[in-house]
Amino acid sequence: MAPHLGHDEFFKSLADLLSKTSQNLHGSVNLTQKPLIDVPGATTTNSQPSILIRATDGNTNTPNPKNASEATKISMKRASKVKLSTIVSPDDIEAFYVRYAEVCKTGMTGLKKRDRRGRKAKTKGGAAKVTKA
Amino acid sequence: MPYLSTSQAYLEQSAQLLQAYPETTRIVTKYNFPTNRRGNVIRAHKSQVRKNAKATDASSTTTPAQTSIATLTLKTFNPTTGICLHYRTNKAQEVGRLITSLGKLAAGADVAGLGLSAAVPAAGADVDMVDAPAEEVATPPVASKAQPQAQGQSAKGKKKGGKGKR
Repeated sequence: MAPHLGHDEFFKSLADLLSKTSQNLHGSVNLTQKPLIDVPGATTTNSQPSILIRATDGNTNTPNPKNASEATKISMKRASKVKLSTIVSPDDIEAFYVRYAEVCKTGMTGLKKRDRRGRKAKTKGGAAKVTKA
Repeated sequence: MPYLSTSQAYLEQSAQLLQAYPETTRIVTKYNFPTNRRGNVIRAHKSQVRKNAKATDASSTTTPAQTSIATLTLKTFNPTTGICLHYRTNKAQEVGRLITSLGKLAAGADVAGLGLSAAVPAAGADVDMVDAPAEEVATPPVASKAQPQAQGQSAKGKKKGGKGKR
């Protein structure tokens, strides 16, 4: 298993991974967060454990074996999936997630954008609500 | 393993699950594009047909039917009890808020600490409800109706998103 990355490195790799997936219009990225319990090296301040963050593409960025040539099939076997991980100590959680959200927002461009045209039509009817929010 | 209709319900129940089992519960965020597998294509087509039949008038925006829109699926899973909460969205404007909320969950925030709107139905009954999360999904009828259809038309879902933001 690859060693855990530092935050900067992790964000850089994650941004790469997300943008690559978004450009391909194919594949998936899995992000996992879980508390890190009873592992040497984890800094545990009273009751709050560190958080382990993992990211992987689940090998979905490799070409489809059905329409791949023999040569690419062989190279595909060697190409392994992307696996990133980092540890966030309880003190850093807030700062980390601010950046994390930023990276995800910029990277996940395959999602649906906010529809401005629909909004204009809507505001005429529900102007009171919009100004409140 | 229910798909919750609003992100607020998802986050609240996730907070309760994390509170009950802080050591073993994990959150998985999946960002993926639909595949071209036959089963997937058929399912997408069927749901599209159903949606069109249901909302003939509301589809004035004429769902653009783009090539492939990615989805973001959030999953809170506790392996020891087998409880699994899902939330799925395809709206880009939700990402920032959701990830930030996940950070609050990771920091061990409780339902109140999430800073969501005050409409918390049963904050005290957190111990019992983890057994039966499906019952707790009793969100107001307007909300549960707006969200599943939000796949195609964002006009309806938008109001909801604006409300939940602060």
